[in-house]
Amino acid sequence: MMEYENSSVMTVSNSGSGEASVSSSGQLPPAAPPSLGPLQPIPVVKKKRNLPGTPDPEAEVIALSPKTLMATNRFVCEICNKGFQRDQNLQLHRRGHNLPWKLRQRTGKEVRKRVYVCPEPTCVHHDPSRALGDLTGIKKHFCRKHGEKKWKCDKCSKKYAVQSDWKAHSKVCGTREYRCDCGTLFSRRDSFITHRAFCDALAEESAKAGTTPPTANLKPASEDDGKAEAASEKATEAEEATATVETAPAVAVDAPLPLPKVAPPLERQEPEKSAGLLPYVRQSPVALANTSSAAVAASTTTSSSSNSNNISMFASIFASVSATTAAHSSTTFSDLMGAMGHPDRSLAEPLSLCLAPNGGPPSSLFSPPQNQSHDWRPFSAPPPPPSPHMSATALLQKAAQMGAAATGSSFLKGFGLDGPGDSSLRWGHHRQQQQHLEPEPSPMLPSGLGLGLPYEQDLMMGSSALFGTKPATLDFLGLGMGPVGGTPNGGLSALMTSIGSSSLDIGTGPATTGGWEGTERKSTSSANL
Amino acid sequence: MKGAGELMSSDANASSLFDGQLAGAALRGCLDGGCIEKLLLHCATALEANDATLVQQVMWVLNNIASPNGDPNQRLTAWLLRALVARAARLCPTLTAAGGPAASCARRMSVTDLVGYLDLTPWHRFGFTASNGAILKAVQGKKQSVVHVLDFGVYHCTQWPTLIDALAKRPEGPPPLLRVTVPSARPPVTPYLNLSTEEIGLRLANFAKSRSVPFEFNVVEYSHSDGGGFPEQLASCLSALELREDEAVVVNCQSWMRYLPEEGSCLTKDTFLELIHRVNPCVVTVSDEDADLDSPRLSSRIMACFNYLWIPFDALETFLPKESEQRMEYEGDIGEKIERIVSFHGAEVVESGERFSGRMARAGFAGVVFEEEVVAEVKAVLEEHASGWGMKREEDMLVLTWKGHNSVFTSSWAPTGFSHRNQIST
Repeated sequence: MMEYENSSVMTVSNSGSGEASVSSSGQLPPAAPPSLGPLQPIPVVKKKRNLPGTPDPEAEVIALSPKTLMATNRFVCEICNKGFQRDQNLQLHRRGHNLPWKLRQRTGKEVRKRVYVCPEPTCVHHDPSRALGDLTGIKKHFCRKHGEKKWKCDKCSKKYAVQSDWKAHSKVCGTREYRCDCGTLFSRRDSFITHRAFCDALAEESAKAGTTPPTANLKPASEDDGKAEAASEKATEAEEATATVETAPAVAVDAPLPLPKVAPPLERQEPEKSAGLLPYVRQSPVALANTSSAAVAASTTTSSSSNSNNISMFASIFASVSATTAAHSSTTFSDLMGAMGHPDRSLAEPLSLCLAPNGGPPSSLFSPPQNQSHDWRPFSAPPPPPSPHMSATALLQKAAQMGAAATGSSFLKGFGLDGPGDSSLRWGHHRQQQQHLEPEPSPMLPSGLGLGLPYEQDLMMGSSALFGTKPATLDFLGLGMGPVGGTPNGGLSALMTSIGSSSLDIGTGPATTGGWEGTERKSTSSANL
Repeated sequence: MKGAGELMSSDANASSLFDGQLAGAALRGCLDGGCIEKLLLHCATALEANDATLVQQVMWVLNNIASPNGDPNQRLTAWLLRALVARAARLCPTLTAAGGPAASCARRMSVTDLVGYLDLTPWHRFGFTASNGAILKAVQGKKQSVVHVLDFGVYHCTQWPTLIDALAKRPEGPPPLLRVTVPSARPPVTPYLNLSTEEIGLRLANFAKSRSVPFEFNVVEYSHSDGGGFPEQLASCLSALELREDEAVVVNCQSWMRYLPEEGSCLTKDTFLELIHRVNPCVVTVSDEDADLDSPRLSSRIMACFNYLWIPFDALETFLPKESEQRMEYEGDIGEKIERIVSFHGAEVVESGERFSGRMARAGFAGVVFEEEVVAEVKAVLEEHASGWGMKREEDMLVLTWKGHNSVFTSSWAPTGFSHRNQIST
């Protein structure tokens, strides 16, 4: 990774501070320098932690216009107001002012921590609680997210808005490529290795081929890794040696012996647990040899393990997926083993509960489409946004009305609580299919009560009065707790019925006390909230 | 805009502040995060207060903002709202028969898909790389020892190929044997795989063989008679664990500790650590989310969710297109998580993250600093990902940041008094 050393400083801590390992989010006090010895007793100090995701509440939130943001420099000379991208450059510049000794020192006073919001109103970082702690960071973010992508990579089609990003990418693009035998390309070795170890396609192939697995070629396409070559050579040799061992006992194996389960039964030979939950199960080396070491033996020394039938079976199973050992074992403990036993069948089939080739698995989000256990889907058909002219009071009035409505209220429909017929699982896909809320007439109140105005006392009073006098709200979710709550029968339909047959005893509590304040209730149901 | 902190201070005022301005703004399409935050808080406090009317109203408003296809805030809101509705529905006892989404059949990924997902962002590989680095250092001096990794994690052994590879590449060669042991007890959380653990082990064994690393894979089953939930099952597995003499034991906890309860079960976080300590491992690596999502108060949990989980939603937005089905699925996985958190406190699966420093110290462990080499390797991983990801050091831990906000921490520990002289190369 040495080649990236220069760019690494800039790109690593990508909040953009340019400091490799210190982030400027300001959540916790700056890290202490790494301790010297490995055995540092950790002081049990309760650190005050902010809510995750929120920057320091003491920080000053700064909102700049796009132009100002891009023009603002992080480091500014206090004498002539010249701006610099880097602190070192600023310091160099300050020396040029020939300051007297005292003033040459940087001001030690604690500057209030600043966080910056993104000027783009629709951006998630426009919210002060999502502010970024670093000016360079927010600049880069603004550029990347909301700016034009001016920089294009020559080799691939990727475009970048920030030049340093583009540079960083160009360095990597196409330089190293690792190719799995299944055809997938990787630019990163660790991804490649992890993929290759588990590659479905490879496992399938090995199962089909019924021979030794392909030798591991872990060299990147464009690099020469001597070690990998040597390793793959050794692997080939080992496999050739084991090949004979593996195929020989194949036919001998007909008794299904679930391989991983051999270990646990032996482990359980230590029945006494009174000594504690974790006794060291010390088994004699002989016993060990019969179980797990077998696998070991298989992969390295092959001759000694080929003697006992038992061991060689383990050997073959552990050593190679392709081994036809399992081929004839009628599995008792999993279909999986059975699957492996039929080399002519691809592994993919029996394993799939929802297996899909690379790409979108067809399964639904939480349950198969036939399953109606999720009768309520609150998001399948949200009511269309009412006219923007509707005042706040009207909105809430409408909400109350809808809540108090009879069976099949549009409010319920709006939540998709239509009853068992509703089986929308893919939200957003079904929006158009559900019944829509009929637009209610929108009373136009005087413009003064429109939206966006600061909180007005009249508005509040009006609303409270409204809720104070409305009839008992029927809580559609049956939230009326206690002895009067609930429905006589189970199921959602019963709930709907109960709402339709105005069971006024439900939910009277909150309504009659004005509805705005949380009710103080001695709840007998003690619903654990 | 007032901060959430003010609102949280008094429940009585919270609902009164749910004024028309919020509702109107939300309906206008103003997607300000602060706006949504306030609405969520209103909903939570209304639920806490059993105020059915207010709950309904806020949910109606939230439903107008929420959209599983919208921008990250909208998506996150959609899943949060869903969890809130589920919770509210459960308050009516007759609905519980219908079964909550938690009991549903979650989707199962293929291992190739899972590995692909892990490469999308450094969220997981951050912990993998740091932990593997710490493990390598810890076993470095012990050339003759069998290395036995106790793998506690929910990512189906995807951490190990790179470790196997690194062991193969060591100047002194691989250890005489690498054992990986996995308990069959696993918290009922995503990702779910369409392969059995045994099959995973087989592929790993195959891979190790191709790298000439002597390898052994074990799945420790729990006794079904013990029954119970995940903690009981895990306890059963641990009691059946097989350790041999002179092994260099490595304990790896990746996104694991948070699923163990604080108290009230046979296996709590503390008892787990106690057991681990007794095993006398040469290193314990702990990686987890850097968020406290477990407060007794619903409103705190919801706020914590909103203020933390925006990170993965935002990251997904950056790296996957709007219409991506894959993205919907990943977000759905997060949605399941949200549902667990929003559900009643102390429900079947807990989700309490913390940095565990105090807890580890009490259990008799001391932090081990990550070597510079390892830190450099982690940095390199981040570099290979798009910008936005950063890293910082805090205490002896490394913390992954997204746009400066903490997301994941990783740490390495050893029993106090354990000598490292043989491990670390001079």
